Amino acid sequence: MSKKRKSFSLLLVSLMALALVVSACGGNGNSATNNSSAGGNGKGEAPVNLIWYTIGTPQKDVDRVMEEVSKYTQEKINATITMKMVDWGDYQQKMQVNVASGEPMDILFTSAGGFDYVQNARKGAFMELDDLLEQYGKELKDTIDPAFLEGSKVDGHNYGVPANKELPQQEVWRFNKGLVDKYNLDITNVRSLDSIEPLLKTIKENEPTITTFAMDKNYVPYVPYDYVITNLPLAVKLDTTDYKIVNILETPEMKEALSTMRKYYQAGYVAPEAATTGSTSDLMTSGQWFMDRAQTQPSADNLWSASYGYPVVSTQASDAIITNTSVQGSIMAISANSEYPEKAMEFLNLLNTDPVLRNMVDSGIEGVHYKKLDDTHYENLAESKNYDMPSYSLGNNMLLYLNPSDADDKWEQFKQFNAEGVNSPILSFNFDSTKVATQMAAVQNVKEQFWSSLMTGTVDPESYLPKAIEKFKEAGLDQVMAEAQTQLDAWRAENNK
Amino acid sequence: MAEVIKKQRDFHQVSRGWNFILHLIAGIFSFMCVFPFLFVVIISLTDEKTLATDGYRLIPAKWSLEAYRFVFETGDTLLRSYGVTILVTVVGTILSLIMISLYSYAISRKSFPYRRFFSIFAIVTMLFNGGMIPTYMVVSQLLGLKDTLWALILPLAMNAFYIMILRTFYSTSVPEPIIESARIDGAGDFYIFLRIVLPLSLPGLATIGLFSTLGYWNDWFNALLYIDKPSLVPLQSMLMRIESSIAFIQQNSQNSSLSLTALQSIPQDTSRMAMVVLATLPIIFAYPFFQRYFVQGLTVGAVKE
Amino acid sequence: MYRPIFLRYLLIGGNKVTAFFKTLIKNKVMLFMVLPGALWFFFFSYMPLVGTIVAFKQYRFTREGFWASIVKSEWVGWDNFKFLFSTNDAYLITRNTLFYNLAFIIIGLVLSVAMAILLSELVGKKLAKVYQTGMFLPYFLSWVIVGYFAFSFLSMDRGMLNQVLGWFGVDAIQWYSEPKYWPYILIFVSLWKSIGYNSVVYLASIMGIDKSLYEAAMIDGASKWQQIKGITIPMLSPIIIIMTLLAVGRIFYADFGLFYQVPRDSGTLYAVTNVIDTYVYRGLKTTGEIGMSTAAGLYQSVVGFALVMISNFVVRKIDKDSALF
Repeated sequence: MSKKRKSFSLLLVSLMALALVVSACGGNGNSATNNSSAGGNGKGEAPVNLIWYTIGTPQKDVDRVMEEVSKYTQEKINATITMKMVDWGDYQQKMQVNVASGEPMDILFTSAGGFDYVQNARKGAFMELDDLLEQYGKELKDTIDPAFLEGSKVDGHNYGVPANKELPQQEVWRFNKGLVDKYNLDITNVRSLDSIEPLLKTIKENEPTITTFAMDKNYVPYVPYDYVITNLPLAVKLDTTDYKIVNILETPEMKEALSTMRKYYQAGYVAPEAATTGSTSDLMTSGQWFMDRAQTQPSADNLWSASYGYPVVSTQASDAIITNTSVQGSIMAISANSEYPEKAMEFLNLLNTDPVLRNMVDSGIEGVHYKKLDDTHYENLAESKNYDMPSYSLGNNMLLYLNPSDADDKWEQFKQFNAEGVNSPILSFNFDSTKVATQMAAVQNVKEQFWSSLMTGTVDPESYLPKAIEKFKEAGLDQVMAEAQTQLDAWRAENNK
Repeated sequence: MAEVIKKQRDFHQVSRGWNFILHLIAGIFSFMCVFPFLFVVIISLTDEKTLATDGYRLIPAKWSLEAYRFVFETGDTLLRSYGVTILVTVVGTILSLIMISLYSYAISRKSFPYRRFFSIFAIVTMLFNGGMIPTYMVVSQLLGLKDTLWALILPLAMNAFYIMILRTFYSTSVPEPIIESARIDGAGDFYIFLRIVLPLSLPGLATIGLFSTLGYWNDWFNALLYIDKPSLVPLQSMLMRIESSIAFIQQNSQNSSLSLTALQSIPQDTSRMAMVVLATLPIIFAYPFFQRYFVQGLTVGAVKE
Repeated sequence: MYRPIFLRYLLIGGNKVTAFFKTLIKNKVMLFMVLPGALWFFFFSYMPLVGTIVAFKQYRFTREGFWASIVKSEWVGWDNFKFLFSTNDAYLITRNTLFYNLAFIIIGLVLSVAMAILLSELVGKKLAKVYQTGMFLPYFLSWVIVGYFAFSFLSMDRGMLNQVLGWFGVDAIQWYSEPKYWPYILIFVSLWKSIGYNSVVYLASIMGIDKSLYEAAMIDGASKWQQIKGITIPMLSPIIIIMTLLAVGRIFYADFGLFYQVPRDSGTLYAVTNVIDTYVYRGLKTTGEIGMSTAAGLYQSVVGFALVMISNFVVRKIDKDSALF
């Protein structure tokens, strides 16, 4: 018997040894393909291939455009680019998993909302860039508004290159202009959530098949607070003097907004399945919507109209506030597991300073996807629908060519817009969640359960709001709040606020 | 004599009234099982505008083939997904049949000294598993299968349960003496397996093969975890993706005659249902033929050693 | 006399080792046969099992890859399990998983056996075949498709159910945000998908019962009901026990597709639709905390194992032959 058992264990050991050999081979083969670079045209040193993850609906022509981009970058910095796009709704989740599991990558998009910049920088997902910026990013540092670089520091260090774009965050109501004109609606006096009601009513009565107030499950009514941690209900009032963190669900503003949303939902202004809707992109392509809420930037209406193929107008729904979310709205980080951090930084430097490269990444191949009108203007060609990229996530916006309908001083307007933005009281305070990680996870679970249905008005806040508040408390929101308050007070003392 | 038997039969049968009630129950339930599919077919044939005003109706006010026209215009997307699904199903089923039949044959042979070890090696996996996340890590990182077809094939290739079923089948349907006599005639293990055991156990293999085919055809979870590339998305996973955005099929179509303005008239809701119908059709046509093998499968597995 | 150490080792341990290799070589064909399968189990079952160690670590990524990261990550003991038990999440998902599976097993068993007996008693076998084929259909459909089916009935503004309710003057119900209906909906959908298949399986074994038994019973004047009670059900019991045991063995594993696709991932419904499997998946998705999600998975594995052992033990006590192992 014991002899038999011994031979079993020997067998097991040899089996495992064999498996390890096989897996080692597999592993090697794998990493070899990852590192192998495209091209190889014997031009001195073999070019380095950089893998770049970015947000957005995967486009058909990405590989084709990246081939062109690679030709250019190989000449300039001896690197080729592979871009991997991850769809809007999946980005957060897929990147969590990709980063945690060590998927090979060099550059990745991150933001306050997308794949949380601060938390992931603290978790060690990104490489610290202070030295690299100094060494390879001189031009870049000169180009980008210092407010961005300053605002994206975590514990005093830079972990990413922010895109140079609009600095404040301003909410607007967007309208499908066709319908506004058809019913002769006046949108100039609209601002608060309550003020849109008559418009919604008119459209609902006359166009019953149209989604009156378009939103997906990420919609949150605007309230004049700044969130301390993205996606969690902790916030500070914008005109605060005492820097007290409150549960946003317990504020009178949010309570009121939620009952208004409930009213709209019951009136049928909001799509019945809004709380489980992942994206409104189908509505946007079909034009079967009347209004929604979005974040703006100068000449945003032009951008939207061009992208949808029908006119869109907008009007302000909030002040322009510079918050962490807006400053950290679009950042390109270098992955902690990057094999070529120096090359990656060289590339980021080039991308943010070289108009040719930046526009190629943004609009595709000249003559195929777009046509140049003059030095600073371009026009989309029919093929551009196969390469329709979100501009904000791909680096310095101010290098972009202008649409024929854009004002010539568009980027000047940006600078002015940026200068006029008002700082949030807690701008550049970054919460460190390590001490309350357990509670954070539990709180996030509660949020998943209640958030969308409350915010879209799908459920009655009368009964669900107290329930949600109770559940948040059970999950340990109070401890998170206390910890955040301690950190905020310390930060306040440090910064003399 | 014949009359007596007939009478007995009659006596054996339930009464007319009961028979009617039983028919009614079975008929209604059977109809309930098929009805949702018919309903979805009707929805897919409804005019998009009518759908928006009336909702999903059994008898729509206006019929339309628009949805199918659109789906076929972007047909290459659907076709590619079909291709992925078919490829994965065929390769996967063959691979898993080979692996499972070899493994279970070896552990069914009494002359194999390690049979106990390898039986336990398989059974333990039925009782304990590492769970989703460690498995994800192994598949994506250690084996590097992310965004490859192998990520859709390999995770479903083996299953201790099927091994147990097939082992039982071998030991009940392949008599030991036949193997022994072949051995005495000087046949090797592999020869015996290929020439004697496999032909005798074809029904068992067919059943396992069908279960495995069904498993591959209906799998969406592995695609959810491992597949990002639009060109590798299998059918079920594509149905999930168009749930949030029908534009997915357009974005991945090579048909460039679809302009942005044409997109605005896509019959969105009906196209979704049309895709569901098109993805289900092969199964609807094929399953009545295979039905009995699935029943056999459980009766095979149920015979315990 | 001096001998190199390894030689000395060979002399002592040699016999066993050579014997081992001899058996290996003698069985090389068989070993070759199990090799692909054994490798599969090694990679897809045993390696992940080793990976569950991250449940006890605060997983932080390092450059050297997954295994190196596991080794280097800080050992946090039971901390990752704390979040599971700090709220009533653990209770909720355990309750849901067990409750639904129990309901599926019990109601499913009763209805499938009843349906099988019913089918076997039908006069007019042609129609009975048609019914069977119809009932069998749902078994072949994926959960994605079933999800679409369910939506065509439950959609708030378009679904058939609300239209029917409308005819009776009942207000439209927001099915996807009313938790109270979902236990019924989920049980219904699950049964809808599985009864056809199971009843046909039972029907096959009813057909296999020796007809002379019934004839003898009839001569003794047994009624139809008595025949069913006295002959059909006892004859079916072995297969009933096996099918039930198989289900009980999986009682801690929920059908991910049912609980993920059919409720459309609606947050309001989590209280009644979240089961361990969906919880693990969502945990990874929202928090990205690999350690914590793995902890939830490990909890499932351990309790599931215990349940299988207990149920097997109970069955062994009652009827030794029916036990799984």
